[in-house]
Amino acid sequence: MDEGPSAADAAAFPDPRFGPRYVIEAVRIAGNRKTETSLIVGELAVMGLTPGASVDASDARVEAARYRLLSLGYFLDVHLSVARGSKRGAVVLVVNVEERGTLVINELFPATSEATLFWGGADVSEMNFLGRGINLGAGFVISTKPLVPDAHAGLGLRLHVGVPPLGGPNGVGLSVTGLYNDGSEFYRTSGADSDPDPGRFIATRVRRIGGVLTAGKMFPHNLHVTASVREEAVSATLPAQYLPGGTQPQIDFMVQNGESRVGTIAAGLDYDTRSDPVLPRSGMRVALSVEAGTSLLGSSYSYVKTVFDGSFYVKMPHGHALGFHLFGGSIEGNAPYFDRFFIGDLDLLLPRRALGINFSTQPAPNFLGTSIASQRYDNYAGRLLIEYAIPIWRHHGWVYGGDAFVAFGVLGMASDEDMLKSPPIDLTGDFGIRLDTYVGVFTISIANVLSRSSF
Amino acid sequence: MWCRRVAAAVVLASALAAAPTVARAADPAPLRAVGFAAKNGRLTVSVGLQDLFGEAERERLKSGFATRVLLRAALEEASTGEPVAVAVQRAEIVYDIWDEKFGVRTSDGLGVERRAVAPTADEAIWRAAVLFELPLVDMARLRPGTEYVLAVRGDLNPISEDLLIEVRRWLVQPARGQRRLGAGDSFFGSFVSIFVNPRIEDSERQVRFVSQPFVLGVVVPSPPPPTLPPPRPQPGRLR
Repeated sequence: MDEGPSAADAAAFPDPRFGPRYVIEAVRIAGNRKTETSLIVGELAVMGLTPGASVDASDARVEAARYRLLSLGYFLDVHLSVARGSKRGAVVLVVNVEERGTLVINELFPATSEATLFWGGADVSEMNFLGRGINLGAGFVISTKPLVPDAHAGLGLRLHVGVPPLGGPNGVGLSVTGLYNDGSEFYRTSGADSDPDPGRFIATRVRRIGGVLTAGKMFPHNLHVTASVREEAVSATLPAQYLPGGTQPQIDFMVQNGESRVGTIAAGLDYDTRSDPVLPRSGMRVALSVEAGTSLLGSSYSYVKTVFDGSFYVKMPHGHALGFHLFGGSIEGNAPYFDRFFIGDLDLLLPRRALGINFSTQPAPNFLGTSIASQRYDNYAGRLLIEYAIPIWRHHGWVYGGDAFVAFGVLGMASDEDMLKSPPIDLTGDFGIRLDTYVGVFTISIANVLSRSSF
Repeated sequence: MWCRRVAAAVVLASALAAAPTVARAADPAPLRAVGFAAKNGRLTVSVGLQDLFGEAERERLKSGFATRVLLRAALEEASTGEPVAVAVQRAEIVYDIWDEKFGVRTSDGLGVERRAVAPTADEAIWRAAVLFELPLVDMARLRPGTEYVLAVRGDLNPISEDLLIEVRRWLVQPARGQRRLGAGDSFFGSFVSIFVNPRIEDSERQVRFVSQPFVLGVVVPSPPPPTLPPPRPQPGRLR
């Protein structure tokens, strides 16, 4: 008897209508000390629960509206009821809400590597700023001074504001993200590709300041479409001895010395049919984005970046799931290094960039003995991961669900100028547990440990 | 170098993973006395699940909208857990805010629908949340000498699978229509994402239990079937 009441569908009443039919005369919201009434009324309107509308006592829209309001994340509980209206059959729709704290910690971690003793940060959001459903978020990352010659301590800041969709929940949502980065990137000057010794690298100093304006809209059938514009001012200080005319062999730093600008436009599609975003058992999520840097927007860098990211899940016996994760991307043109594909973002066993800043000199492990260890920032990247998940928790107190998972895959990176003597590919993988709990989503895995203590 | 890193990570990840594993053993379903009887050649069961309704749920019965109850009972062989028969009862309660009475309809999931009017919440709950002489299985299908138990689960306002999927998706995208651009520009790979995750399960409230074991042909005392509650005064109202 552990199966959920989804079997209820099989036992449904032939006639879904039961009880009186009401005509809504007015909508009354109670319990919302912080959240704007109009925001709640707007969500009800999406379900057709507006003054003048008819609703049955057993109407499925009532339950859906309750859960839609709950899923906003602003309320601990929501209940709908009716009170007598001016005449028999006419009612006032009463919505009682119990508000909750809406400060969310999205990320919080410390990390260390051979090149940087410590970096860490946090990403925090207030999901219901001023009670208007405004998403106000801020993130930062700071580091100690990396051990690479000429390196500077890193600082990354993000400020994000997202307003509720204009014209109601089915309208267009707008968001603005401001960014400030001041950090170093590391380039090998000597030693073998597999040697992470910071002394064998030279550092640049790059400051970025700018922002992204994004418009997004949800369409039927779980399709989300975005369009965005990005503008950044970039200030790079590159080691002169490695530039043309310098005393050392030239290095392609993939960023212009001195002042430059990045201006791009982008479009994205996101199609999501997963059975559960945290612990999926079936369905898919496919995201495709195209970003173009152009001089029309004042950009010093002209390029087109295309990224495909897809996850596909297949039900297996005993509640297990098989997942296929496919990532592919290409850049045509001259993109700055921070917009290129980075090995740490692809290889689960390496530190990822934090707010776009890299703090590690660690190369890919190179399990296959290829040239992958020399690849850091590239124009082409691909990865295929196969993941098998086994449910280990369901409905035990504060832990709603948990999966043990093991993932294994192959990745590859390359740029146009690479001499592909051996295919720059490598193996990657991960295993651990993924928990969906009352206080959030936790992943505890070998890759998490490795990528946060990279030596 | 890599071997040492991986080994250390495996040890740490395993240690972290092991801690909650210790606590994951499922709680055994509690025991509840169930009335078994033979009627017209069929085994019938009687048991009440009125505890599906707490005080808050009882209050909300008067919301004017439907409250749904799903009761499922599975007869299993005690030794193997193999199901022998399954029965379902679904019910809806709607309070009429003008007539001030409860309408109740129940169904056994086979298309047979019964409707009743209940003057009190207690009676409405009784009609919806009690299995009363529910036919379960032909007696001929039961083997003498075999020990059986009845596993029962009750759900208050169960959510359909489609709605549950939609809700789970809404939950992870709380600010609908907004998503952050991310590639290379966010803390990838969440180690922790802390937020209060509303407890949205597949129903608002659940009750589970198993019956006392019984053996065909061996007379064991069963509790009498749950009876209709006596009417109780409605506070603050003229009668």
